Amino acid sequence: MDHFAIVTAFGQDRPGIVALMADSLYQLGCNIEDSCMTRLRGEFTMMLMVRLPQGLDAEALGGRLTVSTRPLDLAVLCRALPDQAALRQHMPEVPTFMLSVYGADHPGIVAQVARTVADQGGNITDMNTRVIGSGEVPVYVMVLEIQLPQDRQAEQLKQALEALKPLLGVDLTFRPLDSVTF
Amino acid sequence: MAIRPVLHYPHPTLKTDSAACLPTDPATQTVAQDLLDTLAASPGVALAAPQIGYALRVIVVDVSRKKGEKGHGLIVMVNPVILALEGRKVLREGCLSVPDYTGNVLRHEQAVVEGLALDGRIVTLTTSGFEALAFQHEVDHLNGLLFLDRIQSLSTDLFRRQTQG
Repeated sequence: MDHFAIVTAFGQDRPGIVALMADSLYQLGCNIEDSCMTRLRGEFTMMLMVRLPQGLDAEALGGRLTVSTRPLDLAVLCRALPDQAALRQHMPEVPTFMLSVYGADHPGIVAQVARTVADQGGNITDMNTRVIGSGEVPVYVMVLEIQLPQDRQAEQLKQALEALKPLLGVDLTFRPLDSVTF
Repeated sequence: MAIRPVLHYPHPTLKTDSAACLPTDPATQTVAQDLLDTLAASPGVALAAPQIGYALRVIVVDVSRKKGEKGHGLIVMVNPVILALEGRKVLREGCLSVPDYTGNVLRHEQAVVEGLALDGRIVTLTTSGFEALAFQHEVDHLNGLLFLDRIQSLSTDLFRRQTQG
C-alpha cells in the first residue's frame, strides 16, 4: 500500500537547493506529489508531500535526506502522513474570497484577523504576509485566500472585518475571487 | 446528435493544432451539433471541438448560461480568430479539461472575434467581460493551448520584488 510523508526543508537560499532535494528524493525512491516553495526574505523554505517506497518510513527518510543535503546545510523534517490525508480529492466549487490587509506594522494583526475569519466560519486556504516600506515606517501587508461554506456568510464576515479596521489601524478589502472555469 | 464526454488532459487532441473547416461540410455540422448537445449537458458556458475529440476549428459559446451574464447568447463559430484585444486582466482560470486546478492567467477584457456562422456568413463580434474571456479560452483550445500554458504568476506574485537596481 502507498504511504506518504510531509517533508519540510529550510535554509539559506542559494541556487541548486530544489535540484538537490528533488534528486535526493528521487534516488531514495520517493515520488514528489504536491509541493510548494518560497523564500522568506533570504531563507529558502519548501514543503512537499512525497510518496514513500516500500521499506522506507518517514523517520528514515528524514535521516537520509539530512545526510544527502548536508552540503547545503538545510534543516529537513519529515513526518508520516495518514493515508487518507494524502488521497487526492475532487476540488469542489466553494465560494472563495481574497482579503488584503495592510497598515503600520505592529504585533497582533495576523492573530486578530485570523481569529475573526475563523469565528465567522471562514477557512484560510492561502496566506502571504510581508513587511514592506522603509525601516522607520514598516508597513505590514497580508493577503489571504478564504473559503466560506456559503456565499451568504460573506456579508457578515465583511462587516466583522470592517469593525477591525479602527481597532488595528489597518486598511483592508474583502472581495470575491475572480475565478472562472471554462 | 450526441453528448460527448469532455476530454481531459493528457488526451493528445487537446494539444493539437486543429484544422480549419468549411461550415457547410456535413462533418463540421456534426461537430457543431455535438458541441451544442455537450454544452447543454455540461456545467460550462463554452466548449471547443478538441475538448470533445475533434481536431477542427469549431467553438460554441453561450455565456447566458451563467446567471447574470448575457453577451451575444448562443454562438457557434467556425474558424474563429481574435482580431483585437484590449484591457489586460489577470484572472484565476480553470478548465473542464484540466480538472481540480486553477491558475492566474493574463487575458483581456475586450476581444473582437471573427469567424464563420454555420451557414457560411462572416460574423464579427465585439465582446467584453466574461464573454471576451470565454472566446479567448476557446480559441486557445483550437491552437492546442491550455490555460496551463499561460499561467502568469504564482499566487505570491503580488509580492514579487523588483529587481535590485
